[in-house]
Amino acid sequence: MTSPTTIPIHLTINGHDHSLEVEPRVTLLDALRDRLDLTGTKKGCDQGQCGACTVHVDGERVLACLTLAAQVEGRSITTIEGLVEADGTLHAVQAAFLEQDAFQCGYCTPGQIMSAVACIREGHAGSDEEIREYMAGNLCRCGAYPHIVAAVRQAALEVQS
Amino acid sequence: MTIHDLRTRHGDASDGSADQVGGRLSRVDGPAKITGAAKYAVEQQLEGLAHAVLVESTVAAGKVRAIDTAAAEGAPGVLLVLTPDTIPPLKTASDWFGTPPPDVPYCPLARDIAFSGQHVAAVVAESFEQAVAAAALVKVSYDEAPAVADLSDPKAGDGIPIDMMTKEWGEAEAAFASAPVRICAAYNTPREYQAPMEPHGLIAAWQGDRLTVWEPSQWLDGMARTYAEWFAIPFENVRLVSPYIGGGFGSKALALSHGAVAASAAKMLGRPVRLVMSRPQTFTGYGGRAATRQTVTLGADRDGKIQSIVHRGVNETSMGGMWVEPLGSVTSVMYATPNFSSKQNVVRVNSVVPGAMRAPGENPSAFGIESAIDELAYVVGIDPLEIRLRNYAEQDPHARKAWSTRQLREAFAAGAEAFGWARRSPAPRSMRDGNQLIGWGVAAGTYPVRRAYGEALVRILADGTVEVESSSIDMGQGTYTILAQTAAETLGVPADNVVVKLGDSRFARAGVTGGSRLAGIMTGAVHKAAGAALDQLVGLAISDPRSPFHALQANTLVVAGGRVSSPRGDGPEVSIAELLASVGADQIEAKGDTMPANSTAEDRYKAYTTIATPLTHTDGDYSRHSWCAHFIEVRVDEDFGTVRVSRVVSALDSGRLYNPKLAESQWKGGIIMGIGQALLEEGIVDRRHGRIVNNNLADYLVPTNADIPDIQTISVGIPDPHSSALGGKGVGELAIVGVAPAVANAVFHATGKRVRDLPITLEKLI
Repeated sequence: MTSPTTIPIHLTINGHDHSLEVEPRVTLLDALRDRLDLTGTKKGCDQGQCGACTVHVDGERVLACLTLAAQVEGRSITTIEGLVEADGTLHAVQAAFLEQDAFQCGYCTPGQIMSAVACIREGHAGSDEEIREYMAGNLCRCGAYPHIVAAVRQAALEVQS
Repeated sequence: MTIHDLRTRHGDASDGSADQVGGRLSRVDGPAKITGAAKYAVEQQLEGLAHAVLVESTVAAGKVRAIDTAAAEGAPGVLLVLTPDTIPPLKTASDWFGTPPPDVPYCPLARDIAFSGQHVAAVVAESFEQAVAAAALVKVSYDEAPAVADLSDPKAGDGIPIDMMTKEWGEAEAAFASAPVRICAAYNTPREYQAPMEPHGLIAAWQGDRLTVWEPSQWLDGMARTYAEWFAIPFENVRLVSPYIGGGFGSKALALSHGAVAASAAKMLGRPVRLVMSRPQTFTGYGGRAATRQTVTLGADRDGKIQSIVHRGVNETSMGGMWVEPLGSVTSVMYATPNFSSKQNVVRVNSVVPGAMRAPGENPSAFGIESAIDELAYVVGIDPLEIRLRNYAEQDPHARKAWSTRQLREAFAAGAEAFGWARRSPAPRSMRDGNQLIGWGVAAGTYPVRRAYGEALVRILADGTVEVESSSIDMGQGTYTILAQTAAETLGVPADNVVVKLGDSRFARAGVTGGSRLAGIMTGAVHKAAGAALDQLVGLAISDPRSPFHALQANTLVVAGGRVSSPRGDGPEVSIAELLASVGADQIEAKGDTMPANSTAEDRYKAYTTIATPLTHTDGDYSRHSWCAHFIEVRVDEDFGTVRVSRVVSALDSGRLYNPKLAESQWKGGIIMGIGQALLEEGIVDRRHGRIVNNNLADYLVPTNADIPDIQTISVGIPDPHSSALGGKGVGELAIVGVAPAVANAVFHATGKRVRDLPITLEKLI
């Protein structure tokens, strides 16, 4: 049995640089949660099925559980912790989630919000039907879907105006 | 001396401002959840944390012949490999009724295999990745024995009669035989899984003989009791911490064997250990809803009036454990009938012991009776809504007691109006839109009001802010929010000034969060504790010579908006903080509980750590239930048999709503889980190996956003003083009950095909 080998990686997360020594097999999700105390990104299935670990890499939504930390070296990563503005102002999607009660237990919520921000940015929030389709990769077992649709619709209007 | 009026406020469902009970205050734990700041149990960052991964049996029955741990033990980073031979024996714990356990050792890793997926070993390593890799190196060999795969297995047999489930009155068989109209059909529901988004797991850490467990929990005090009994340490030595819970739906109420494994490993290593089930492991690490079979026979006259109901039910349980899913629960209360018989068996199969999942019992029970009465409606040619009104139970037909409140007639009326039921074309296959067959279905639901006891502590701090503490929990129902509203209203302070602390077993005690009982109990306890704190505050203000109110010689004062004044406005007005400063008080603290006054410490321990409670829903003069009516539209593709739910209107009687905004969310969540049950969810067993093959979220289908239309909910409840201190009944379980039959009834209306096996998948329609 070979001894564990680690590699140095440098991640830019929410505008901050982090240097880590990790095994190549460490996922971005586990690097965030276990090495960097950025636990806002959730682990729901660890196999790319639930969307709870959704983060942005260079502005696009990706599943952190299916992404190796080493794959995103030098790229810009945004997590739920990085969505709030420096003065504490909530992102329009976050505010809309609170107002519309678009969550209950809150565990899928960071992933839903990261997906919603990207969904609006992609131009996929044009109708309720489109929002449902483009938010379908983020499971919510509490069943907040109608309120998630309402929140994305509301935030999309605010972001566009 | 009655210093302030502890009169309970009963309003309608939306009385008061957001700060008060009944107001639409946004979730107070919301900001933490939308920013990622909310730390769930296993997200605590602890020094020296080690990581455990479970190894599960790959056969469904037999014995472990040998476990070869050599490769795993030699793998990088491995600290410990646990097997049935190396894990220290624990003591057997009592069950959730508190039944004294047999004095035999308990081993959380199995030698004798009773189901596929049973924990047989565990690997603990420095990192999660190392533990996962090493767990794959553990080689287990078995002497495999024949297994009973599921209820349909020819070896399953008829099972064991559960006599306490028998309910009978009149002459049901004879009345059925002589009834002019007779129908009889069998209704089946499959294994279903709670599938909360947060997987089960924990961090266990020891300090001497004191154990701290960070674990998502619907029942801190009950789980603490189990850990204490396993490790033979005093109850007070176990601390459960669970401030946020990523969904439970019944699955997170008990300490389970994986918890015993993690706590054992932590003790052996002298380090905190984290163990989180993989998503596939969550399908066998604890039980979902048992598969069920029911036969419902209805005898009726030609006007659709029911003369007799004969009901027989079966649910699966495990080889060693006992789970009874009460299948006659809705059958026996929904409709008036002079003759009734319900009996139930359980059948042992090689499965993990099934468990509670949202409305256990009522949910599958309603699928039977609410499908059957729909079938009767078509046989006698009466509208499915009308036949329900014709058989309306004016009192509890089983308990023969008056309903505390039953707004079901109002629910039918309000739902039908909003849905447009009057425009329904009666004949099956008579409504369509292009190649889509349209069907409209209705079904009712109910859930009993479960009552128990709770404690709360209310503390008014020197700065005028208020703390509420309770070992109850919030897994998304809104406990943080409604308890803040209750304290704010009772004390006369803004809800913003109230901090609610939950999810720590060191706080004032609470029983299980299940059966929709928590809100009714805890609002009552907080109301009482806050009332006592207010009594103290006003008492100080009146009697302390240093108080600005002392000279007033008033016998009461008013507290509103966080400010204290005299009722006639003829004295000073000061903030709570100023008042406390004037009398030199650091804080005021009061505990309130809902236990009978003469309760002993032992009574309290039993009340909070077991489910043995004397308060049944038919205690005293009334039968207490929540009620609902679902109106559902489906669209069925005529060529492909695909079913889509396109419209839902549900009218619900949960009594008074403590916070309508949050109650509506819970109702919709229940309806959505019900749509999943109707159309998608089914644990599929590989009959060769007794194994669940779709043990992941891509193959076990839960509803996605794209599966769910907009949903309209209507509150028809009125305050029910017999059900809770503040007038509410149950919310969380109610709304799922009746959804699956409403969908099945709509599918029949659309297609003319009656599907009696859930889920309603396309191959059953083409």
